[in-house]
Amino acid sequence: MPALRDNSGLLLALAVVLLLPLLLQSGTLATEVLVYALAVLGCNLLLGYTGLLSFGQGVFFGMGSYAVGILLTRAGMPLMAAVLLSIVIGAGVAALIGWFAIRQRGTYFVMLTLAFAQMFYFLAYSLPGWTGGDNGLLGIPRPPLSLGGLASVPLDTPWRFYSFVAVVFLLTFWLLHRVTTSVFGRTLLAIRENEARARAVGYDTRLFKLAVFAISGAVTALAGALHAMMTGIAPLSNIEYHTSEMILVMTVIGGTGNLFASLLGAAFYVLAADWLSTLWPRWLLLLGLLLIGVSLFMHKGLWGVGQGLWQWATGRVRAGRPAVREQSL
Amino acid sequence: MSPATTMATSPRPGADQDVASAGAMQPLLDARGVVKRYGKFTALNGVDLRVMPGTVHSVIGPNGAGKTTLFHTLTGTVPVSAGRIVFNGQDITREPDNVRVRRGIARSFQVTSLFGNLSVRENLRLAVQGAHPSGAFDMWHAPGRRAGIDALVDTILERLGLHARGAEAAGALSHGQQRRLEVGMALAARPRAIFLDEPTSGMGVDDLDGMKALIRGLATDHTVLLIEHNMNIVMDISDTITVMQQGRVLVEGAPAAIRDDPRVRAAYLGNMITGGQR
Repeated sequence: MPALRDNSGLLLALAVVLLLPLLLQSGTLATEVLVYALAVLGCNLLLGYTGLLSFGQGVFFGMGSYAVGILLTRAGMPLMAAVLLSIVIGAGVAALIGWFAIRQRGTYFVMLTLAFAQMFYFLAYSLPGWTGGDNGLLGIPRPPLSLGGLASVPLDTPWRFYSFVAVVFLLTFWLLHRVTTSVFGRTLLAIRENEARARAVGYDTRLFKLAVFAISGAVTALAGALHAMMTGIAPLSNIEYHTSEMILVMTVIGGTGNLFASLLGAAFYVLAADWLSTLWPRWLLLLGLLLIGVSLFMHKGLWGVGQGLWQWATGRVRAGRPAVREQSL
Repeated sequence: MSPATTMATSPRPGADQDVASAGAMQPLLDARGVVKRYGKFTALNGVDLRVMPGTVHSVIGPNGAGKTTLFHTLTGTVPVSAGRIVFNGQDITREPDNVRVRRGIARSFQVTSLFGNLSVRENLRLAVQGAHPSGAFDMWHAPGRRAGIDALVDTILERLGLHARGAEAAGALSHGQQRRLEVGMALAARPRAIFLDEPTSGMGVDDLDGMKALIRGLATDHTVLLIEHNMNIVMDISDTITVMQQGRVLVEGAPAAIRDDPRVRAAYLGNMITGGQR
């Protein structure tokens, strides 16, 4: 039973991945849920586990899109090589931005990430030779997946591509589950709780923050790369400030400090946007109301609500907060 | 001025012996001419402090004397403007606080500073791990593979009298228990020297004896530098007392000598007493 409880987040994620094709007609919509869930995982790692509010996530997402686009269209790289290199580029850019940003805390940290977000947006806009400028990088192919030269798996239809993204998503989820429950992950929680104390007991907190920034950049760039392959285009909007904001909103709505909450937040946002935008073009107004609700009444997001309902249903409502937050799945 | 010359009246059992041998030893901590300026304000104006190994060395003084600033410069929380700090033969003047932990310096905070949402055990585990921070970059394994850490955490919990509350969130402990855990966090690094910044601050009368016993217990295998307002505790457990006033050392000596020193009475005990006999 403890093994089941320890891996319950992973099992829930697997259930969602298997359920999406049954519930949704569109393979692209289902893929979009998982792609954004990846980006939200990256953001959650910073906000939920380390207490860092980054407005720079769009930079990593956009860099992933451009990197995979350029590598596939110009260099003609095989799919996996292009994706892996995009991840490395995302980690590198995040380490660069992180190196500056983690020197400050609170408002100034947020401002630094915002400044970098603006800078990279205009950089992408000013280099149309590389990025396609305003039009975006067009015609990004989706080459078949080569399995060590033994077999070639085509990713041409939306559901085939979904299967590929689903495997990548679950693998990443599992890796991040290991990272967040590791000695390293537990140290991040300590930094989130009380950075001065973490330093006083001997941790070089800057180094930890830099490492988690790079991991977050890698995961978010992977999301951006998959997004570009899904749509066949790396648009300028992927590196825009709005993308950072969207990823942050999904993270907060889902709930911070829990990996499955990231999937919940992304699924809720993407599916609500898809449904509401057909009913009312000003649907973002409703999203604003929901964010106000989350900020005022439900700090643990949708995950917290689900957790509360579950406890109520199973009659295990206990007063007080759990002793160790990270174990309170 | 040397502690060795004034220790005959030390109230701590065995302290005479410590200090007799300490007389031949090098000080564990040797701070010379420590200056700390904040803009035009000089908080520390050339402080010398020599802490002998195996002793309880207290720093007292009226509010604003510079005690806490001195504490911060010694633990590396704030950099010095001038001066030199040598610990265990190493020049640590320019080292940040987290590196000084590896040298064997551990500290407690004047205002309780714990990982409030994490369990008491986890607080101590993090403090034990902090002394070997490279292991904390293990991104693959959950904590608990090293039995030594668990055993050490158990020992400390026992010593703090918090064994039954190990699974509770640190933030849910009473104030007195949090103050004890605060000392335990310093103990967890198995340091050479423990720096305690007003460990009894805000504690109720009922908890004071427990804290006094805890600090006295620390002195059996650590060097303790204590900043404390409670004169009862300072006079009872110190081997050496340094009295500070306006960013300088006013006088240094054994408790009895300090109690009878007219300069101290004038500067501190006589009028500007803070904390005082409780």
